[in-house]
Amino acid sequence: MMKKNRSLREAASAIPFLLPSVVGMIFFSLLPIVISVFISLTDWDGLAALSLGTLAERFIGFGNYQNILGGEEFWRVLKNTCYYIVLYIPLVLIASLGIATLLNKGKKGTAVMRILYYIPVLTSWVAASLIWKWVLSSQYGILNQLLALIGIKGPEWLTSEIWAMPAIVLASVWKDMGFFGLFLTSGLASIDKTYYEAATVDGAGRIKTFFKITLPLLTPSIFFCLVMALINAFQLFPQVMIMTEGGPNGATQVMVERIYNYGFRYFKMGYAAAFSWLLFIIIFILTSIQMKLQKGWVHYES
Amino acid sequence: MKKRRIKTMLAAGLALIMIISLAGCGGGGSAEPENTADTDANTTVAAEAASEAANEEEVTITFANFNASGGNEETLEEMYLAFQQEYPNIKVDIETIGYDDYFTQMQTRVAGNTAPDCYELNIENFAAYAAKGVLAEITEVDFAGINETALSAFNVDGKQYGVPGSFSNVVLIYNKELFDQAGIEYPTDDWTWDDVQVAAEKIKGLSDDNFGIYAPVTYNEFFKVAAQYGGSLLNEDKTEFTINSAENIQAAQMMVGRIVDSNVQPNSSQMGGMDDWSLFESGRLGMIPTGIWAFGTFTEECDFEWDICVEPGGTQKATHFFSNAYVINADSDKSEAAATWINWLASSGEAAKLRIEKGWDLPAITDESVLSAYLEITPPENRQAVFDSLNYLVTPPIIEEYSLMSDIITGKLEEAASGKITAQEALDQAQAECESRITLK
Amino acid sequence: MNRKKILHNIGFYAIAVLVSIVVLIPFFWMISTSLKSKGALMALPIQWIPENPTFSAYEKVFTRFPFMRAAFNSFLITVSYTLITLISASMAAFAFTKIKFPFSNGLFKMYIASMMIPTQVTLIPLFIIMNKMELINTYPSVILPSLFKAFGVFLLVQNMRTIPDDFMEAAKIDGAGKFKIYRIVILPLCLPTLATLCITTFMESWNDYLWPLLMLTEKKKMTLTLALNSLNGQYATEYNVLMAGSLLSMIPIILVYIIAQTQSKKGSLEGGVKG
Repeated sequence: MMKKNRSLREAASAIPFLLPSVVGMIFFSLLPIVISVFISLTDWDGLAALSLGTLAERFIGFGNYQNILGGEEFWRVLKNTCYYIVLYIPLVLIASLGIATLLNKGKKGTAVMRILYYIPVLTSWVAASLIWKWVLSSQYGILNQLLALIGIKGPEWLTSEIWAMPAIVLASVWKDMGFFGLFLTSGLASIDKTYYEAATVDGAGRIKTFFKITLPLLTPSIFFCLVMALINAFQLFPQVMIMTEGGPNGATQVMVERIYNYGFRYFKMGYAAAFSWLLFIIIFILTSIQMKLQKGWVHYES
Repeated sequence: MKKRRIKTMLAAGLALIMIISLAGCGGGGSAEPENTADTDANTTVAAEAASEAANEEEVTITFANFNASGGNEETLEEMYLAFQQEYPNIKVDIETIGYDDYFTQMQTRVAGNTAPDCYELNIENFAAYAAKGVLAEITEVDFAGINETALSAFNVDGKQYGVPGSFSNVVLIYNKELFDQAGIEYPTDDWTWDDVQVAAEKIKGLSDDNFGIYAPVTYNEFFKVAAQYGGSLLNEDKTEFTINSAENIQAAQMMVGRIVDSNVQPNSSQMGGMDDWSLFESGRLGMIPTGIWAFGTFTEECDFEWDICVEPGGTQKATHFFSNAYVINADSDKSEAAATWINWLASSGEAAKLRIEKGWDLPAITDESVLSAYLEITPPENRQAVFDSLNYLVTPPIIEEYSLMSDIITGKLEEAASGKITAQEALDQAQAECESRITLK
Repeated sequence: MNRKKILHNIGFYAIAVLVSIVVLIPFFWMISTSLKSKGALMALPIQWIPENPTFSAYEKVFTRFPFMRAAFNSFLITVSYTLITLISASMAAFAFTKIKFPFSNGLFKMYIASMMIPTQVTLIPLFIIMNKMELINTYPSVILPSLFKAFGVFLLVQNMRTIPDDFMEAAKIDGAGKFKIYRIVILPLCLPTLATLCITTFMESWNDYLWPLLMLTEKKKMTLTLALNSLNGQYATEYNVLMAGSLLSMIPIILVYIIAQTQSKKGSLEGGVKG
């Protein structure tokens, strides 16, 4: 009897803490999501005024899903998206880890560097894409000029079918490494100094300390960055729209770019909704796998 | 110490939020016309006029556009003030939105039932909006004085769904100095693409850095060049695609050949990320067919002499016609006032004069005297070519799935321009893809 | 020993400077472009030093639209948005990590899942919901969505999970209720993470474009980002004005960043169990 009351009281105490967030979730997330599920089951064009009536008229069941999965476009853009992810995730994690480590040394000038490294994050993709279009120019761009200094003939980046995606990866890593670096920095900062002191007492060298103490204790932050980077990477969009518009020859067409075009240019919103639900399922599965695996490598102090 | 600071911050924040919410909920939702202080004088005049003309009630309509963004907002304001002199009882709430996100925004508003009474559309989107029934037919308005071709572009099945607000066309712009250097005569209105090819090769021969011509290998160029060889993308009544007709293939081969065979036109890696205008401005490009909206920029940027002529043809001439339309929301209950406003914008003498004076773009009207002011401005010398081009106008083939069709064709043409496939293959594949993915009514 | 230290220092600074340059070159180009008069802005090869550097682009930014008004709107919205996010997300994270309640796991999974839906598709439904609630063209329409920030909740959950439960036990023994524990024990320990969340939320809200574009239709409610983006025309964009505006728009965020960084440093020094 007593136990039940206590756990009930315990559970009830969560309510005030959860209320603002959950109320927000219901109105600004859940409801639109449910509506978009219905939309995906219709061939609504995204223009005619949306109402229950409109949706009922255009109901086509799973037709959209069948068309998408049966076509070649979905699988092609999925492949492109995966190409991006496989390059982007390791690069951005290593780069941001590098930055975080650099900033954690506490040497003079760290405060200034903190600001500098974060500036790319603050620029809008419009400005950043213009800048990178120039950087990546095969003839006049600074990237190829630098490569030439060390004797490498740089590829044609944005106009090459093979190198366009790596080009986008480069621009994205440049823009995001400060972002993830920030989280890793605060993660590094919250590692208790006593661990380091103990390590020094034990006579451990710098590298050993890093791998045996710093990294393991940083895993919650790394895990966070990994999950967020993956979710964001699957939703790659503004850079592609501005820098390559899906070209050359469809080499950089990715899932959200397709969703946007179908929903807002070809007036096939139902199709776009179905497409995005398929995307959701993919991300969901991958993230669930990550969550399950985290027990294997993420260390929480408790 | 830390905690107290957080506490005060939180308290201040909560107070701030409450104040905002109250202010927001209270004040939101009421749209007021955004005008300068001059309007106060106008409003008094309007009030008087209103009380005099007992039939005229005051009406406020909402109007959205993108054409004024990027430098012409003031001109639009001036036009509105002139409009108010003539129709003091109609107030217009003007919204000018940047081009890039205009259509996403407009589509959302239409779907959400909050679209303005009247707004602007480009050709690409017009057909879809008209076909899906979200536009009102424009009646009770006198279309006299508006250019016929322009009007017809926005006429669907005999009903007028838009008025052309402005139009632009494309002419051939050439670098006089390069022609002098190569010892060739300047292009004339009689030229064909064969003449252009000869000139282009000579200009390219002047230096490795030079190129003879640049015409984008995209859908927008293609439908026009196809017309110059007597071809078209759809059949007469728009029930079938005719993308890979013999004439079209000839047109595509000519366009692609310039890049892939004779290389008088740079390919994408030779451009290195630079855009075509910059190439022309750098003095390395002999000819460029581009829009008349380039005049202002070229005047400022080019330090060589340039001029224009009517775009060369193949077996016949065909020139581009770009126009933006003003349309009326089918759900608007103020369509009469809206129709008056957009018709005035499109065809009135005052609006036209302002448009030309400020170098905005051309009004789609037939009144030669107003248009003549346009001819006075130089460079280029041969501005007459802009009006001569009007004789050969072709409008894009407007179908409901316009964007999808243009994307498919542009995609295939790009592949041909990069040498991956031949022009014939590109058109065959485009034909197949359009047939399978687009249903024509 | 000393030589090793000097080498280390040189190595460190060399890398640091190299990274700085890589990060900043594009940024220099932004500044350079913003100082150009209407010139060959996109010409290649790049013109690093403008021929006639001028502030005309900046002038245009201030005169083209009511800059101060837009900046004020941006501040109002972004500050409110950030505060609500910090409060709401930290409370939710506290509940998820430190309170046992049924379906806690399931609810958390829903939070994470909500981040996986591309916004393009929920845009119109959300718009319609806002319309039905009659919130269009009001400040709350852009502020209220901050109540639900799965990203913030996730971030804080990761952080709060590393706080040992003994801290809470100590407070409980002292007779503290849940809210007091939240306020006095957990929040201070999360300060670095809260500062980080503050920065990212501020930035996201400040730079947010599509949603304010749809929600704030009146010119006097326009945010700075909205105003800047209205500069692109159908055929041409004034890149120098665009860059000038973007640079100006970055200043407030940088300031917030600096402030939050200094707060966070103080916090991490103070952190830890006392006694």
